[in-house]
Amino acid sequence: MSAAGALELASGRRGRPLATYGAWLAAAVALGLLPRLFSSGFALTTMSLMGVMIVFTLSYNMLLGQTGLLSFGHAVFFGLGGFFTVHMMNVVEGDGAPLPLFLFPLVGAAAGLVFGVIFGAVSTRRAGTAFAMITLGIAELVSSSALILRRFFGGEAGVTTDRTGLVHLFGVTFGPQIQVYYLIASWCFVSAAAMYALTRTPFGRICNAVRDNPERARFIGYNTQTVRFIAFSLAGLFAGVAGGLAAINFEIMNSAQLGAAQSGAVILMAYIGGVGGFVGPIIGAILVTYLQATLSDLTDVWQLYFGLLFIGMVMFAPEGVAGLLARQQPLLQARQLHRVVPFYLLALLPGLAAAAGLSMMIEMTNQLTGHAPDGPAMVFLYAPFNANAVLPWLIAVVLFLAGTWLFLRAARLASAAYDEALATARMRKSAL
Amino acid sequence: MVEIVFISTLNGVLYGMLLFLMASGLTVIFSMMGVLNFAHASFYMLGAFFGFAISRHVGFWPGLVIAPLLVGGIGMAVERYGLRRVHRHGHVAELLFTFGLTFVIQQLVEMAWGKLPVDYRVPPSLDFPAFTVFSTNYPTFKIFELLISVAIFAALLLAVKRTRIGLIVQAALSHPDMVGMLGHNVDGVFMLVFGVGAGLAAIAGVIAGPALVTQSNMAELLGPILFVVVVVGGLGSLSGAFAASLLIGLVQTFAVASNASLASAFGSLVSQRAQAYLGDIWNVTVAQIAPILPYLLLVLILIFRPRGLIGARDS
Amino acid sequence: MTSPSPALELAGLRKSFGKTEIIRGVDLTVRSGERHAVIGPNGAGKSTLFHLISGRYRPSAGAIRLHGEDIAGMAPQLINRRGLSRSFQVTNIFPRLTVWENVRCATLWALGYKYSFWRNVERLADARRRTEEILAEINLLDRRRTPAGVLTYAEQRALEIGLTIAGDADILLFDEPTAGMSRIETERVVSLIRKVSEKRTLLMIEHDMGVVFDLADRISVLVYGEIIASDAPECIKANAAVQQAYLGAA
Repeated sequence: MSAAGALELASGRRGRPLATYGAWLAAAVALGLLPRLFSSGFALTTMSLMGVMIVFTLSYNMLLGQTGLLSFGHAVFFGLGGFFTVHMMNVVEGDGAPLPLFLFPLVGAAAGLVFGVIFGAVSTRRAGTAFAMITLGIAELVSSSALILRRFFGGEAGVTTDRTGLVHLFGVTFGPQIQVYYLIASWCFVSAAAMYALTRTPFGRICNAVRDNPERARFIGYNTQTVRFIAFSLAGLFAGVAGGLAAINFEIMNSAQLGAAQSGAVILMAYIGGVGGFVGPIIGAILVTYLQATLSDLTDVWQLYFGLLFIGMVMFAPEGVAGLLARQQPLLQARQLHRVVPFYLLALLPGLAAAAGLSMMIEMTNQLTGHAPDGPAMVFLYAPFNANAVLPWLIAVVLFLAGTWLFLRAARLASAAYDEALATARMRKSAL
Repeated sequence: MVEIVFISTLNGVLYGMLLFLMASGLTVIFSMMGVLNFAHASFYMLGAFFGFAISRHVGFWPGLVIAPLLVGGIGMAVERYGLRRVHRHGHVAELLFTFGLTFVIQQLVEMAWGKLPVDYRVPPSLDFPAFTVFSTNYPTFKIFELLISVAIFAALLLAVKRTRIGLIVQAALSHPDMVGMLGHNVDGVFMLVFGVGAGLAAIAGVIAGPALVTQSNMAELLGPILFVVVVVGGLGSLSGAFAASLLIGLVQTFAVASNASLASAFGSLVSQRAQAYLGDIWNVTVAQIAPILPYLLLVLILIFRPRGLIGARDS
Repeated sequence: MTSPSPALELAGLRKSFGKTEIIRGVDLTVRSGERHAVIGPNGAGKSTLFHLISGRYRPSAGAIRLHGEDIAGMAPQLINRRGLSRSFQVTNIFPRLTVWENVRCATLWALGYKYSFWRNVERLADARRRTEEILAEINLLDRRRTPAGVLTYAEQRALEIGLTIAGDADILLFDEPTAGMSRIETERVVSLIRKVSEKRTLLMIEHDMGVVFDLADRISVLVYGEIIASDAPECIKANAAVQQAYLGAA
């Protein structure tokens, strides 16, 4: 059964305001309590970064998920927001004006909005693929200019600031990471709420219409270019907020943060989480930030894994994690989940084996090429061996091939089980 | 002065030809399949690296033949097993697929050959000056690049206009569904076109590699310029891509050769204090901003002629 | 019922695609408040005519006057805002939005909400009321939460009509509204069209002669890009040229 069919069943739960307010309340409480659960330095740093990325990814979702605008240069607004924030922080610290730190993401917002308007006026003249290429061009323009305008962008070293140098209200210096966490968490909450509210406005709805069928949107009275322009500018605003939060968090801004890699990262986060809805980008931001933090310690080719994950998602699960979860929702409602979970687990095992085999091959190749001077000895999953020996390669290849084959078989069974369960859920629902 | 102009023109045309070698494949793939292949510059990079690897073990000339064939094969596999599957999820998914592919290819190249430039050398048989213009020696290899580009275009033009498969390609360019209904294997044609496009990009890599720098960031440096070329030319127009390739090739080459800056032009007119205030912008030379000129051109075109030099109106 | 100035006037309208001229000098007058049908053989250019009027295509020559104002070549949204709304022959809805949201989006501009991003759309009582009315008219109230993409063909055609009438336009263009429908569905659509076009101007492309003679006050016959007759239904029936070209000689 198609994703649309599952969506049809799931959509019956729309429009329950109490549930929505309850969810936001729960989120606020969770944000407040998280540092109690995870209090290590690593956890606080990672959670702070997640907060920043959630705002950034949600702002990207305004473009791609809500309005259908595929931008390859969204980091420009993130970076510019951050740079203006650090400069403003430095200026204010120098002047000694009593402006508290938690106001400064507003600087990022303003910068993001202004540049969103400027670049948006040019970019939104075209749509679709041309628009995507234009955002790429403009992003390159800005990031190349960053290396030329060394005064503002600080050259390769970037621009630093001191977040504790501003006026301290109620004794809060923002020196300790936990205080920064709460600043970021509050801004994240407010920004997310604002972006959510935007989706509930006439403009937000028309953005969806333009995404689905821009031509028809014209015939119901809307100038699609204007719609896109406004969406682009507002998305720039929120990306600027994220940049300001990043500036506060890291106390440094570097021209790489407005470059292609950062733009690619936000696309990755949004897509893996699932574009379109509201929860998807949040999931994506959290997941990718977490994976990045942990994977980069384990292997130096973690970016390759991300690339492969991304391609895999695009090919096999374009709705993202949120989409996959949404597909289970009708089963959950009709209490049919137990019919599919065993098959999912059945597919999981060979899937993991195949992933292990592939990873092993990648790491061995890396050992032989990237780490050639270190010799062939390596450790993978706690097992030591030589990367140029035949046996490990044999094992890896077998794991990968056998795992993939078994996974495909199990996936076919799981798919059939899902269809059956969904059909039952439909029958149950229409019988009500 | 005349010397600089002459050399720059030659270099500019050459650069433009290289750009067109890639932009043409990109445009045909886009016109036919509706997908803008982000990974096109990656195929260029693969061509350069494969050419380098082959030239180390066998020689430059075998590399010139084998590398494009290898990359063309990879291109066909990408179309057959990747793009075709993603096609049903829409254009955004296709674009993102090729975007992810770029990333993966770059990581693989970095893993295999490292981040530093590799020593891809001009073959000794071509490593001598072709002629001397004023006081500068103009390398033969560059003339060779020019000749190869022209030869390939001639061959392609012939293939498209005179052969049967070329006729089918032309038809599929505007009406792929119709061509399919006439019994032609449109899927096969797509695979072939994608493979040939990749092969063309690879040839550009093989011949540009020794002259320019062969490094794992080649794709990310050239990619955006390539896309600017196709947008400025008018998405989907081969003649537009040709014009834009030459334009950007010449503009960038002349810019790099120029030492002009706002300061050198107007320095005597503006006070020292104002100059200090304007700082970077005032003193930066045209050569320094050469890398961003294509993007400035893009912005200008978008403001004054959004559909590109020779583009169709957005319907 | 008819007021002095015509609602819609086409004068010397021409449209070529490359060397092919599809519309070859069309003169047509649609009076205010009338129900006007355009019929003609396949390929005559009827849909092209609608595209020209509604702004999808730009004319090669000639004038299109909406309440006296020349709208030839104007962007579709500008024409729509001046009170002309059209439906499409190939269903053109918003597939991922629910039926409710589809219709509500079509009401927003006419109600004056434009690009408002500071009001909660759920709280707009007039939008809600209007959407409910329209959904009741097109009989899709109980499908309001369904994503439009999974509706049946007939339901989508009904939604198509709903989108067209939601903006309260006073000139409605319907492009083959009953195409592919059963007898019962056709009757329902006809009575719906009759109801919504009261006190409004209707221009309709149709192939179903029963519908045409049932609804239309006047009929124009388009053949190879030219209007060969434009008259009351009985006169059209009796017109020899029309019989030859279209209805088939009796």
